[in-house]
Amino acid sequence: MDLTFAPNEAQFRDELRGWLAANGPGPEPEGEDAQYAWRRDWQRKLHEGGWAGVHWPVEYGGRGATLVESAIFYEELARSGHPLPANVLGLLLGGPTLMVWGTDEQKERYLTPILSAEEIWCQGFSEPDAGSDFAAVKTRAVEQPDGSFRVTGQKVWTSGAQYSKWCMLVARTDSGAAKHKGLTYFLMDMGQPQVQVRPLVQITGESEFNELFLEDAVIPAENVVGGVGNGWKVALTTLMNERAGLAFGLQVRLRVMIDELTQIAAENGQLEDPRVADQLGELHLRCEILRLTAYRGLTATMKYGQPGPEGSLTKWMWSETNQMLTQFAADVVGPEALTMGTKWSYELLRARGNTIEGGTTEILKNIVAERVLGLPKAK
Amino acid sequence: MNFDFTEDQHEIRRTARELLAARSPFARVREHAEAGTYDDALSQELGELGWPGIAVAEEHGGQGLGLVELVILLEALGEACAAVPLRGSALAALFIEYAGSSDQQAQWLPGLASGALRGAVGEWSDGVAPLVPDAVGADVLVLLDPDGMASLVAAADASIEPVNAIDPTRRYGKVVVADEGGMDLLAADTSEALRCAEVAVAAGLVGASQRALDLTVAYVKDRKQFGVPIGSFQAVGHKAAQMLFDTEGARSATLFGAWAADADQDQLPLAAAIAKAAASAGGRATTAAAIQLHGGIGFTWEADLHWLYKRAQLDAAFLGGPGTHRARVAALSAERVAAAGTR
Repeated sequence: MDLTFAPNEAQFRDELRGWLAANGPGPEPEGEDAQYAWRRDWQRKLHEGGWAGVHWPVEYGGRGATLVESAIFYEELARSGHPLPANVLGLLLGGPTLMVWGTDEQKERYLTPILSAEEIWCQGFSEPDAGSDFAAVKTRAVEQPDGSFRVTGQKVWTSGAQYSKWCMLVARTDSGAAKHKGLTYFLMDMGQPQVQVRPLVQITGESEFNELFLEDAVIPAENVVGGVGNGWKVALTTLMNERAGLAFGLQVRLRVMIDELTQIAAENGQLEDPRVADQLGELHLRCEILRLTAYRGLTATMKYGQPGPEGSLTKWMWSETNQMLTQFAADVVGPEALTMGTKWSYELLRARGNTIEGGTTEILKNIVAERVLGLPKAK
Repeated sequence: MNFDFTEDQHEIRRTARELLAARSPFARVREHAEAGTYDDALSQELGELGWPGIAVAEEHGGQGLGLVELVILLEALGEACAAVPLRGSALAALFIEYAGSSDQQAQWLPGLASGALRGAVGEWSDGVAPLVPDAVGADVLVLLDPDGMASLVAAADASIEPVNAIDPTRRYGKVVVADEGGMDLLAADTSEALRCAEVAVAAGLVGASQRALDLTVAYVKDRKQFGVPIGSFQAVGHKAAQMLFDTEGARSATLFGAWAADADQDQLPLAAAIAKAAASAGGRATTAAAIQLHGGIGFTWEADLHWLYKRAQLDAAFLGGPGTHRARVAALSAERVAAAGTR
């Protein structure tokens, strides 16, 4: 065991820290559209500095970072207080999926604009009747005589759809086949009138997510990824990347907020209250265990090619802890945390989605029970 | 950044678990728990293998390895729930090695390391240590007072009265020292030894949690109700998943604590508090969940779960329970935040 950074890792961290101190996105503007543009500019800056696709192989324009360096990147980015790049879905999901399943032409065409944020990506998997039961998608893609596809259906929870050029779309190409078969993974051009985007207003009042209404949307044959009928497998690649990616940044974000709350409690004299101290102690403990468990998962991945049993736990740990933290903030911070337009009220409301997005805690527990503990499939 | 054991550490873990699976199955644990005895044959074998002295310096007759190796053994002993007093000796040796005089070290460490002598560590206030694990049969006791001072006393200079604690897999005693003149203060700072001891106790709790989880998983796959294995019910599966969550979280924290003790002592105070808090809460929760998921049979004397549950109760309370350590985590974190703020 060596839980320090190796010299090359420390050097990577120091170089990155220096760059992040000298470069930033500037002050955050008001309004969702302006904020998006601001994050897009920020990604361009990251790209120019060579920090956009840190974990991407060098041959695709990335930095070829190791898993530990990639973890360091997200930790340091969170520590700097700078936002995530705008095209986070393209960087974490779309690009890596294409690297596995894409044709040479597709890699050539799509990867660079993902890095530069020239083309933003979104993810069209979930549907009104296919949430956790993702294989139940109903959106239909019908092959035309010229080999292209016409797609009709509805998607939901599509983050950033209003800003996106490309959608990672999973649709049913064979309604006669069994549920998991008959699905195909497409890259759909969002810039066509047959695709309508309607923002969903969430409990925070903002609209990160959208509904997509597709009516005979056109997708050319060359935009199939991984072959017709192979969509389930390709989508799993995307989903695996989703689970592995962000834990380190989230952990640091959590740490920063817990420290802030500790500071507020200290200033208010609330640290003397054993109930407050007990809650803060529990939050610090959970945050540290999340960090350590994420690093254990990384070690296992590097050694055995996949995380051990602990790897399934980090998203669950983070989401529950973030909810605990933001709920507790209401007690420590007081009325300000319950007033719209404040940081803590936003965090309180936004955290409520954490145990749902990217796999509900209930589904994660099913996965742990079935795949890690080997229990019989749940009824 | 590498969380993996070395090859040697893997080997120690493998050997320890294999040996204990063969020598200390629940039938043996039960035999000794019911008779109120320690498994002396096993103790002797472990002494010959050098287990009690694994973290004791070679110059004092130990193997000169670190807390990581001790934690590996204590986790395995916790998993087996083995009826041996080894932990008491290992903890006493930690205090004597970190804080004892060279005379004290020369007097006690070689015997503790070889298993020829037995030790115990207990919490002491107002002249009485009411519930000291491994006290009965110990040759030397380390008594910690609430101010963090530790004293050494030979068993011959103390009165040790057996206590019938709810955990029958260890021999507990009430220790009274009539003449405090027989007590030797450990002169050096004992805080580091205490932090190591907390991590060591946490390791046994992680072992108990792991065993509780393994037994439960096997049971709910096998046990059928309504015509199906009960493990197929989500209410059962989710509770088992929570057991894994608690076990692995405590394991992450305990390994980090052991590593910090060996390699980065600045991080030890916070790491030890987190490990003891997490392993204590986790040990209580997982052993309780194991009984619940076994249903009625889990509540019987015949099932072996209660050995784990009872030991977890005692270990969780020993050297401070979850609440005590959460308070320390909060205090240490607040110090860190304040220091960062004034920089």
